[in-house]
Amino acid sequence: MTFEIIDTDVLIVGAGGAGCRAAIASSETNLDITVITKDILGKAHTVMAEGGINAALANLDPDDLCEIHGRDTCSAGAFLNNQNLVEILVEDAPKRVYDLENFGAIFSRTPDGLIMQRPFGHQTYRRTCYAGDRTGHEVLSTLTEELRKREINIIDEVFATSLLTNKNRVVGVSVVDIRTGNFKVFRAPAVIMAAGGAGRIYDVTTNAQADVGSGYAMAYKAGVELIDMEQFQFHPTGAAIPPAARGRLVTEGVRGEGGILLNKDGERFMKRYNPRSMELAGRDEVARSIATEIREGRGTKNEAVYLDVSFLPTKIIEERLPTMLEDFLDIGIDIRNEPMEVTPTAHHVMGGIKIDALTATNLPGLYAAGEVAGGVHGGNRLGGNALAAGQVFGEIAGSSAAKYASTARSPSLDRKAINEEYERVMDSLNRENGLSPIKELKQLQRVMWDRAGLFRNEQDLNAALRFINGHQKQVTSQLAVQNKATRYNTEWINALELLDMLLVAEMFVRSALLRKESRGAHYRTDYPSLDNKNWFTNIVVSKQNGKMLLQTTPVVVTKWHPPWA
Amino acid sequence: MVKKQKVQFRIQRFNPDIDDEPTYVTFEVPYSDRQGVLDALHYIFQNLDSTLAYRWNCRTGQCGSCAININGIPGLACRTVVDPLQKYILEPLSNFPIIRDLVVDLGPGFRRLEKLRPYLERTSAPDRPEKLTREEISAAMELRSCIECFSCYAACPAVASAKQEFSGPIAMRELASFEFDPRDQGDRVQLAVTSGLYDCTSCGMCKEVCIPKHIDTRRTAIEGLRALAVEREMGPLEGHQGFIKQIESTGYAVDVKSPPLTDQLPDVIEVDDPVDEVLFYPGCLINLRIQQVGLNVVEVLKRNKVRVHIPKDFVCCTSVAFRTGARSIASEMVIRNTDYFRKLGVNKVVGLCPGCMSTIKQDWPIVLHEKDKPPYDFEPFDINEYLVDQLGFERFNKQDLKPLPIRVVYHDPCHLNRHQGISEEPRKLLRLIPEIDFIDVEDSDRCCGAGGGVRAGRRELSQEIAGIKYDILSEVKPDVIATSCSFCFIQLVDVVKSSNSNIKVMNITDLLAASYRGESLK
Ligand SMILES: Cc1cc2nc3c(=O)[nH]c(=O)nc-3n(C[C@H](O)[C@H](O)[C@H](O)COP(=O)(O)OP(=O)(O)OC[C@H]3O[C@@H](n4cnc5c(N)ncnc54)[C@H](O)[C@@H]3O)c2cc1C
Ligand code: SF4
Ligand code: SF4
Ligand code: FES
Repeated sequence: MTFEIIDTDVLIVGAGGAGCRAAIASSETNLDITVITKDILGKAHTVMAEGGINAALANLDPDDLCEIHGRDTCSAGAFLNNQNLVEILVEDAPKRVYDLENFGAIFSRTPDGLIMQRPFGHQTYRRTCYAGDRTGHEVLSTLTEELRKREINIIDEVFATSLLTNKNRVVGVSVVDIRTGNFKVFRAPAVIMAAGGAGRIYDVTTNAQADVGSGYAMAYKAGVELIDMEQFQFHPTGAAIPPAARGRLVTEGVRGEGGILLNKDGERFMKRYNPRSMELAGRDEVARSIATEIREGRGTKNEAVYLDVSFLPTKIIEERLPTMLEDFLDIGIDIRNEPMEVTPTAHHVMGGIKIDALTATNLPGLYAAGEVAGGVHGGNRLGGNALAAGQVFGEIAGSSAAKYASTARSPSLDRKAINEEYERVMDSLNRENGLSPIKELKQLQRVMWDRAGLFRNEQDLNAALRFINGHQKQVTSQLAVQNKATRYNTEWINALELLDMLLVAEMFVRSALLRKESRGAHYRTDYPSLDNKNWFTNIVVSKQNGKMLLQTTPVVVTKWHPPWA
Repeated sequence: MVKKQKVQFRIQRFNPDIDDEPTYVTFEVPYSDRQGVLDALHYIFQNLDSTLAYRWNCRTGQCGSCAININGIPGLACRTVVDPLQKYILEPLSNFPIIRDLVVDLGPGFRRLEKLRPYLERTSAPDRPEKLTREEISAAMELRSCIECFSCYAACPAVASAKQEFSGPIAMRELASFEFDPRDQGDRVQLAVTSGLYDCTSCGMCKEVCIPKHIDTRRTAIEGLRALAVEREMGPLEGHQGFIKQIESTGYAVDVKSPPLTDQLPDVIEVDDPVDEVLFYPGCLINLRIQQVGLNVVEVLKRNKVRVHIPKDFVCCTSVAFRTGARSIASEMVIRNTDYFRKLGVNKVVGLCPGCMSTIKQDWPIVLHEKDKPPYDFEPFDINEYLVDQLGFERFNKQDLKPLPIRVVYHDPCHLNRHQGISEEPRKLLRLIPEIDFIDVEDSDRCCGAGGGVRAGRRELSQEIAGIKYDILSEVKPDVIATSCSFCFIQLVDVVKSSNSNIKVMNITDLLAASYRGESLK
């Protein structure tokens, strides 16, 4: 077998907020930097972030401090956060926001001309910097401009299949070039994993299609440790239709402006769950209440409940919810006259690759940043902290990896391992008859949604695990792609993604089974309360002798002490 | 059981590795409530044919991955709702090489952007925090919201014809976003001029297809940059200078070769029992070049019992100045016209030329505001709009129309259709004419290449665009190409002549007048 080898000094997998920021930091050196992305530069999931990016600039509330940002972050995270990382996050966030301005970003302004900051859930002060309702887009298009300015080498539509290692260090990444179908190898002494989240593991999600979690899977396969994989955030309101956009975020603002939730019988059901706060109860509680209504048969035919603002004065809707109004109008729903249909939706992976203060992993040469990295957010993520973490740790990853690459020995490839990887990648394409990746993928998403979603319990999680393990066996030996042309073969890429997703799902489920309490976003109906005595600890997943091993490790606490300690 | 309704999707397929040329395959997709085009593509991929290639990512109109041609017009698959009563043709975006099926290589578009120094240029970083007022940043912020879907680039008639010379609307938007950024120190205007700033015909297609962000690239970016180009003496083009000089010296964009229309008519054209009273604004071309067109407008109004004022001392609307960036002469003429109309005391101004009328509707108010003048106190109407919506279709004099047994195809003027939203009215009027054989072609709204100063400034490009339009219109073998614009009219007359064709070009009011007069046009 022959394959093209492309040499570079720092290889970055992923061109979202984190990957692009890393590339900029790496490019401060005279090393050769390459970014690969399975979508197109400027189109990563980061563009979808609307709300904002947290930095304690204290532009509106002069009492805000990094310290308080850190406390808010840890308290939202149920104190599972690695506080070393939190300290870095809150201290660097203001600098990274100013970097973005230096690169050309324009944030909304206060009347005095400073960066505007909005209040966001569970934060003491107004801290979330924003650019209208398209903050993530402003961030990513600014970074795109800076990448173009620096003439950084970006390769679009390349799918990374595995991290390549040799003698306990990373030596590169194997890929399929989506546009040609060619198998290639990028050889690099340092690799930064910035492949984003995994919302698409679930049937209903706010995430872009790219977010299948390959970053976690690649790390796991290479023996890298991952942390907090049971912590997955669900958002209470995602649009139920049209099917292709099922799960798309409907902002909290809709309820903030007075929107009410109704089941199919027109009952304002929140009065049964939380008569005091009603629709304004906490995210998790509203999400679970909606899910219960749907589970118990009181949902609409689209497996949803109604979110209604049509009784509000038209003017209020037009002035305060213009984006929502327009988004729904585009799909033929006029929220001034009819209710929206909403469902809880899978939103964010708090867990991920375990990193230290330099974003280094336990595999020499491998760094990680962005949603793919874990530890910063603990058990739940503050709105606005993901973009901030992407910038902060992206920058650190870029400089750490560059420093490592400039002194590292040149990497040598393990040909045998690459041959095996090639066989694995080609397997489903070469098989004539067998299981359809498209159908298998949908089944997995459904099982995860039903058994390992908002509500978890021993029985469901075990059922999910049986499904996953059963399918891992079948799928690796029986998957057959019907489409045989290698050029832009989405079905084939889906097959490779499915293999990654099964691994990620297994990490989610095994970690969730282990944590026998409810903490952060992880909710067990069979262990519904916090158990600080036994479970104030992080769960770490890794591959040992071909098996998935789970261990607990003490939480890193520096300055923000949990109330019970 | 009720049979599930199905919608037909005809999709262009092409795999350059194995196919010689694109083919079309039709799929039937069961309709579901609020289904989008992306849903239909997913259905096909998941159930009917997994070899179909299409691109998507956010599925919510935020990433710009999924732009394709939907029934000939670029749009986002994820933001287009399926109409179950329609049939769909899906094709890849034009002006790009195809990777496979609906997936194109955006590389050429990106590379053109990359050449424009598409990043903030400043010599040193400012102190933090940096203050920027909301007003200062509002134009740049609007332009920065682009999601690089390339719909506008694919839809632009000037890109299709100018090829390498014009970097397209998306690039002009990019340059303007920095030019209007108070922090940027680069010279974007020079770059815009060399990247085809004067190739834009003002057709407005770029705004129409910018469903994702409603960016008005023509107005905000291109005309904004053109105004700066004129200020910095890099524009307008040589071909425009003549018009501007002419306006400066005579008040009209063209010189006098034959007696002006206003000299051929009295101050007021009286009718018995008038039902309404209007001022007819002829504009330069009708007044000085194609006077018969103006006489026909007057005849149609007369036949409908409208008392018509003829403004003897009107001056140019200065559309050409607005479109090419020569703002200062524009202001002067606007004030002269509005002062004069106020003196005449009319409430309604009717015109045929949509270049004039859209300028009066959209640009004049801005100038008056800028110059601290009161807003004008008349209502401007396009002639079709006036006859159908204002005078009233019911009241329209149909009884005197005599048969015109000819085949007619209609060309939508961009300044009428897209800039004023008037497309049904002219068609309604055409259909009133007895025995007329009116054919509506799909690309009736494609630009003819005359506008935006392109006819005067970039003659070859203009003719190339006109040639494409002529091919579309002449394919149905009409006797007459109808339109409603003095500028499209002369452009189409030229292209018909250079094609040695005997097709006639007529405005809607020319046809109505001929029908009233009972002329034979065969
Ligand atoms: C709807 C929505 C709204 C949000 N709003 C906010 C907000 O207001 N504030 C906030 O802070 N956070 C918000 N978030 C979260 C935040 O957007 C994400 O966590 C963050 O953008 C992730 O950035 P990233 O750089 O890690 O990854 P991404 O932006 O997801 O980028 C991942 C990159 O990796 C590439 N990739 C993935 N797999 C592979 C592979 N196998 N091979 C090659 N490339 C690969 C992708 O192509 C992509 O380029 C929101 C999330 C959603 C879903
Ligand atoms: S107005 Fe028409 S010609 Fe001008 S840039 Fe837009 S689409 Fe192209
Ligand atoms: S200006 Fe509008 S249509 Fe053009 S690329 Fe940007 S978002 Fe798309
Ligand atoms: S999929 Fe992102 S714009 Fe349509």
